Amino acid sequence: MASTTSSWIKPSTRTDLIENLVSGVDRYNPSNVGILEDYLYHQIRSQEYDCLANLAILKLYQFNPELYNPDVVVNILIKALTASPFPDFNLCISLLDERTPSTNLDEPDPLPSLLPVLTSLHALLQQCKFPMFWSTYHSDDLETLRDNYTVECVGFEDAIREVAVRAVKAAFTKIGSERLGSYLDLQGSELEAYVSRLGWSLGSSKNVISIPSNPDNQIESTVVQESIKLPQLVKVISHAAQA
Amino acid sequence: MSQQRMALWAAEALDEDLQDVDLSLAIGNYGQSGMYDDVQPPQIDEGTLVAMQQHMAQQAAFAQIPDVVKRFIVHFHQAVLDNNLAEITVAYESGWNRLTEKYYAKTEWPEAEIIAPLVNDDQIFLILYRELYYRHVYSRLQPNIDDRFHSYENSCELFNYLLNSDGPVPLDLPEQWLWDIIDEFIYQFQSFCVWRSKIKSKSDDELTMLADAGQVWSSYSVLNVLYSLIQKSKINENIVALQEGKSPEEIAEIVGEYGVRPLYRMLGYFSIIGLLRVHVLLGDFTLALKVMENVELNQKAPFTRVTACHVATYYYVGFCYIMLRRYPDAIRSFVTILNFILRMRQYHTRSYQYDQISKTADRMYALFAICNVLSPSRLDDNISNIVKERYSEQLSKMSSRNSEEAIPAFEELFLYACPKFMSANPPPYDDPAALSVLLAAEPQPDPARRHLGLFLADVKAQAPVPTLRSFLKLYTSLDAKKLANFLDADEESMVQQMMAMKVATRSVSRVGNETGLLEGTTISTSDLNFVINENMVHIAESTVGRRYAGWFIRNTEHAQRVYDGLRNSPLPSAPQKPSQQPTTSATDSLAAPLSAGGLKSGGPKVAWGGVKVGA
Repeated sequence: MASTTSSWIKPSTRTDLIENLVSGVDRYNPSNVGILEDYLYHQIRSQEYDCLANLAILKLYQFNPELYNPDVVVNILIKALTASPFPDFNLCISLLDERTPSTNLDEPDPLPSLLPVLTSLHALLQQCKFPMFWSTYHSDDLETLRDNYTVECVGFEDAIREVAVRAVKAAFTKIGSERLGSYLDLQGSELEAYVSRLGWSLGSSKNVISIPSNPDNQIESTVVQESIKLPQLVKVISHAAQA
Repeated sequence: MSQQRMALWAAEALDEDLQDVDLSLAIGNYGQSGMYDDVQPPQIDEGTLVAMQQHMAQQAAFAQIPDVVKRFIVHFHQAVLDNNLAEITVAYESGWNRLTEKYYAKTEWPEAEIIAPLVNDDQIFLILYRELYYRHVYSRLQPNIDDRFHSYENSCELFNYLLNSDGPVPLDLPEQWLWDIIDEFIYQFQSFCVWRSKIKSKSDDELTMLADAGQVWSSYSVLNVLYSLIQKSKINENIVALQEGKSPEEIAEIVGEYGVRPLYRMLGYFSIIGLLRVHVLLGDFTLALKVMENVELNQKAPFTRVTACHVATYYYVGFCYIMLRRYPDAIRSFVTILNFILRMRQYHTRSYQYDQISKTADRMYALFAICNVLSPSRLDDNISNIVKERYSEQLSKMSSRNSEEAIPAFEELFLYACPKFMSANPPPYDDPAALSVLLAAEPQPDPARRHLGLFLADVKAQAPVPTLRSFLKLYTSLDAKKLANFLDADEESMVQQMMAMKVATRSVSRVGNETGLLEGTTISTSDLNFVINENMVHIAESTVGRRYAGWFIRNTEHAQRVYDGLRNSPLPSAPQKPSQQPTTSATDSLAAPLSAGGLKSGGPKVAWGGVKVGA
């Protein structure tokens, strides 16, 4: 888990041009939507992620329904999935106003059929049901999503693995390799390679993986005592001094 | 009545006024083409006839205005002309409301055209008068579609005057009124959007007008006004300069001719809070907090000078945090303002805004209850006790392990306490075919339901937590299989629930001196921590000692106030002295310390709704 939100508020990969759009009033200018959409596709290709810039696209779609491009929306949602457990996915959905069905698109709008799929994938991630996520994701029903969208999104599966890694890292000190494999959708040598990349150590029997300690997987019983700070007592003391 | 007003409206050159709305405004004129083209000027003959009828009707209406109201309007006008803030405040906060109670509790105030002769046809005053007129219609009566369109038009005239005159306008208004102008503008926008989205109950006339509504109450036009006020007043630059400790002269240099005037400065400031609200209503919770990035949330911030603004700020910020799944921040926000409201209550129950504020407070207690179930904390016993008392039934349902019981309880409180969400765009009134498709849709789209669904998804992800917690609390370590048996689940799904629980007990939160409201650090929100070592679960519990300090400090301060009050009172005069003199002086001086001494030390320094002059 990131210990701070600053890279979420402003990723280091964000250019000045995008920063101006995200933070200024130019974000409302519909003619800038192309710049932001290009930036999204740049994120898709180069494993970057900029939630606030993507929300700015959805904001423009919200105010200017004629700009709506379902492919862009799906890509934004796919990107947001990988941010779980942070609320990015829901923040994006919040901006998708109800649409009237009769929009003039050349092709049928893929979003109405994909939205429930993406939402259920998101729910599985939120509930840490990673094995079910993978089986759903690889199922025949989701062929459209895989072939038309996630295949284009470089590193999508690894980004989902990152979600699982974040959850495992916080909850485990040691985990069975079979279990971890089912969370990461990796087996055998692939799993070993992935684990060693993480810097986690595989036990001698190769059945158990040790996870280095981090703030979330160290537990300690503590007794928190109230500590009283001077400013709380300022009124009382200053009154006593006056008296 | 409504027919006559319709004619009046058509006779005015409406289209020009509306298009003037955002001359050189902040965010541009997007999608504002083609509005009101088809408002045809009425035929000349008919126009003359209507004008004559109007003239006679106006004279009759003028004669019916009670003298005291006429005097009030003349006096109010003079106060505005003189920029006499104290007099304006009295008229605004006290006179207007008193006369409303007496003469206009159930009807409109006289229309601006009718009272125009009283104020020498002063157009600026008439705009201000209409601002009050429509606000009264919205709050006491049912606004019809003409009222809704006209109030938009009048708001536009007001903002046009403020933003597009040659230089800053020489007008001074009380801060309370300035807040109310922004607040009411957004309220009417929201009210219009909600009314507009209900397509089933519209008459044919309304359908026609809505199809041609163009930019009336559009999201762009509303945002334009707010951003323009912010930019014109350079309020963000002003706040930053203040934080950097710049001198008043330097700040005056930075903010320019508009920003130095209190009217613009406060309108700009309130527009930031207004943006916070608009973005929340439109479901953009990150942007809502982002526009607030320069505003410091503390008791010294300018927004605290108007109580209604103070309360609204914390409500919307807190709500954003809920939707960002930052429950500790939400709780802190609600606790701060609810304690403030509790402290203020004794002084202000008679304020004309008290009802509104206490309604918002009730909502925040409900939101606090929700947050406290999802992320239990012991931040403030005072507020938790009130919540336990008020929502005991919902609290026990929400913490129930049975989700069929828990979810409806969350739903009930969320829908009761959430802001009045709205859609950014109108239903397709200009496209009858699409409209009929939408008419047939069941259920009708409802933005509040959409946000509720997202919130409930978060709640459902946390559903196993209470059960797990109750078992984990009993052990320091136990075998994963055994725990799975207790839960009647297989080991694998139990492990997944444990991971979900770990996620649920971590939250991003502000921990100290973050600059923006979006900044934060991941913290642990639970006293119960665990870790899984392959097949063994180890548990550690932190105990938080009871907090005494707050209670003792509050009571010490209270005791000091009582002591001061007593010490400042004169000794009781001896009863056997027959002379009149000491008795009167005793009562006089008894009254003085009670009001002055009681309020001075530690008492709140902010008046409910600003200045209390001549109350």
